Amino acid sequence: MTGDITPVVVRLKLSLLRNGLRQSGGRRAAYIASAVAVLLFSVLQLLGLIALRGNEHAASVVVPLVAVLAAGWAVMPLFFPGGDETLDPTRLVMLPLRPRPLVRALLVASLVGIGPVFTLCMLVGSVVSVAHGASAYVVSVIGVALALLVCVALARAVAVANIRLLTSRKGRDLAVLSGLVIAVGAQVVNFGAQRLGSGGLGQLDGPAEVLKWIPPASAIGAVDSASEGSYGIAVLQLALSAAALIGLLALWSRHLTRLMTSPDGSTLPSSQGAARERSSTGLARLLPAGRTGTVMERSLRYVWRDPKTKAAWVTSLAIGLIVPVFNAVQGTGSIYFACFAAGMLGVQMYNQFGQDTSAFWMVAMTISSTRDAYVELRGRALALLVITLPYATLVTVVTTALIDDWPKLPEVLGVSFALLGAMLATGAWTSARFPYSIPQEGYKNVAPGQSGLAAAAVVGGMVSAALLCAPVIALTIWANVSADGDEWSWVLLPIGAVYGTAITLAGLRLAAPRTARQLPEILVAVSKG
Amino acid sequence: MTSAVSVRGLWKRFGQQVAVAGIDLELPAGKFIGLVGPNGAGKTTTLSMVTGLLRPDQGSVEIVGQDVWRDPVNVKARIGVLPEGLRLFERLSGRELLAYSGRLRGLPGAEVDRRAAQLLDVLDLAGAQHKLVVDYSTGMRKKIGLAAALLHNPEVLFLDEPFEGVDPVSAQTIRGVLERYTASGATVVFSSHVMELVESLCDWVAVMAAGRIRAHGPLDEVRGGAPSLQRAFLELVGAQGQNTGANLDWLGGGAR
Repeated sequence: MTGDITPVVVRLKLSLLRNGLRQSGGRRAAYIASAVAVLLFSVLQLLGLIALRGNEHAASVVVPLVAVLAAGWAVMPLFFPGGDETLDPTRLVMLPLRPRPLVRALLVASLVGIGPVFTLCMLVGSVVSVAHGASAYVVSVIGVALALLVCVALARAVAVANIRLLTSRKGRDLAVLSGLVIAVGAQVVNFGAQRLGSGGLGQLDGPAEVLKWIPPASAIGAVDSASEGSYGIAVLQLALSAAALIGLLALWSRHLTRLMTSPDGSTLPSSQGAARERSSTGLARLLPAGRTGTVMERSLRYVWRDPKTKAAWVTSLAIGLIVPVFNAVQGTGSIYFACFAAGMLGVQMYNQFGQDTSAFWMVAMTISSTRDAYVELRGRALALLVITLPYATLVTVVTTALIDDWPKLPEVLGVSFALLGAMLATGAWTSARFPYSIPQEGYKNVAPGQSGLAAAAVVGGMVSAALLCAPVIALTIWANVSADGDEWSWVLLPIGAVYGTAITLAGLRLAAPRTARQLPEILVAVSKG
Repeated sequence: MTSAVSVRGLWKRFGQQVAVAGIDLELPAGKFIGLVGPNGAGKTTTLSMVTGLLRPDQGSVEIVGQDVWRDPVNVKARIGVLPEGLRLFERLSGRELLAYSGRLRGLPGAEVDRRAAQLLDVLDLAGAQHKLVVDYSTGMRKKIGLAAALLHNPEVLFLDEPFEGVDPVSAQTIRGVLERYTASGATVVFSSHVMELVESLCDWVAVMAAGRIRAHGPLDEVRGGAPSLQRAFLELVGAQGQNTGANLDWLGGGAR
């Protein structure tokens, strides 16, 4: 082989970036907009970090910051496997390349892009905020370079180690769940930031003490140590990062070699999945016989096995818990926030047939009367209740315990059940009236051209659900404002439960004839994905 | 002769495009019937309308004497369908899919499991019965779809492109099952654009092109004087005499 392949791979990466932009104006605009946004954000971060210089907690901020950054690099390739084509060494498998030059070339190529620039800005800002004295500046230069390389090598090593996963169905299923991790993560970060705002930066001192020994945050920790004159510790921390880099490169190189000399993961039969016996009897025995049990069993299986359904459920479960409980913990919440869980979970009843995708034909072939449609919808509502009812009750009890307002528990439960019933009723009806497709690939939850329909169905349904609950809500308000209302507030629990049940049944009865009549139209509407 | 399927004046438009332009068909019971035509001829649209999966703009469909749209209760229990281009519940294993589909049709659970086990065995899917359908190959999907369509022992079976993308071994298995099924007096209606296959399997064919039926009847009648169904078909759809000799004269061995 002649010459070094590093410039070739770097040029390949640049061409890929450029060609990606050439594909469409929208994509170019999106890329430029995101690049500008990231650069602005980097500059602001940089300024913010520089402003932190001299603050006694500066090190406690930047060390965890770098750790979070590294964690981001580690998980990125799992969620966005298509993001960087040079990340996928299977594309280079036909070329006669040796692992060592290849690793070097790929590592350098990884340094090209928005992500590394952003990381570099963060790292530079971090060392500026903590470095004091000549020796610390020297350590800074080494530290920044080490930290950046560790981040990039980490991403590459994770990507290569998981390339089997990423080219298989399971990996693609995982990617669908990534949006959810981001959504739930944002909630957690939001609450964390609020706590930090109230508690001050001093709260970070504890984590920073540990993190400053973990690469690549240790490379930045070294700068702080050097500023304080603890040169021995600084060298040790730098050495830790360097060792991590060498370790990651070795790991990466080994995986790369194995990957390039063995068949692609997508062509291998998944022996593991095939061997696992799926027991069908355990769940089925607890469910009622006939169509009801059959429909429930399938719905419940899909909650676990279908990535889209699973993502929707986990989001609902997480947000339904986080909003009332976190608010209660902070002391800002009302006990009525507990009804949020019922509302969030009730959303899963919406667009039932869209969740089936075009496999709905199998259902359509077996519905020949209004009765069949009613049993089908009822089965789906029951499957939902199996999870929702205990969960909403649990969230309500936990919220009540946190706020310590037990006398209010019955009425809050009553309102929750009424709301759940109203959501199921409107969900069933809109499923029949406004079905829409859920694309199975990618992150979109609505097929192109149907987003207006989907938004109208969900928003309209939720408003109607709230209106349908009005009688129970009015009773609750009455119980709270009238003089002897408190003594009667427990009655709201049975009232809410009965009202919720009645309204669900009414909704199913209304939805069933429409479903039975409109089967072909529903099938067309849900088959666009 | 009794009709398994009787279609009158069937129309379907998608916007400007006329997919099916007034079809009349009488398909005899107890036969192996092939619906042949080039891509885009309207075969899938026709089969979807006949089986109640797509609402026609005009026209009526009767299966074993019952109107598909007015009397779905009597029809849906008596037909089996394997559509093309529609998914299955892919996150179920093959066995679970059959259990689901059979129970949804109201068959007793034990009976469903007994039939499912036999079908999986005959269709050579027993080894993959616990694998999720999403991990199945094309041939395996067609076979599990066929099993789901046969599970309730329908009188008439509609298969849209059952051999498309299927390997020769699976195709032979499917063939064997279908031949046994028709031998007992049931009717199979299937669409295909592979003439050799239709010729070797069917005793009755309907030729479709551009949304219309060009010819229908017993295989020998439709074939007429032509040496093969392929030739007869090309004549019927007017695709004869397209000269491929003049162009591409550079293609082939010899001078590069």
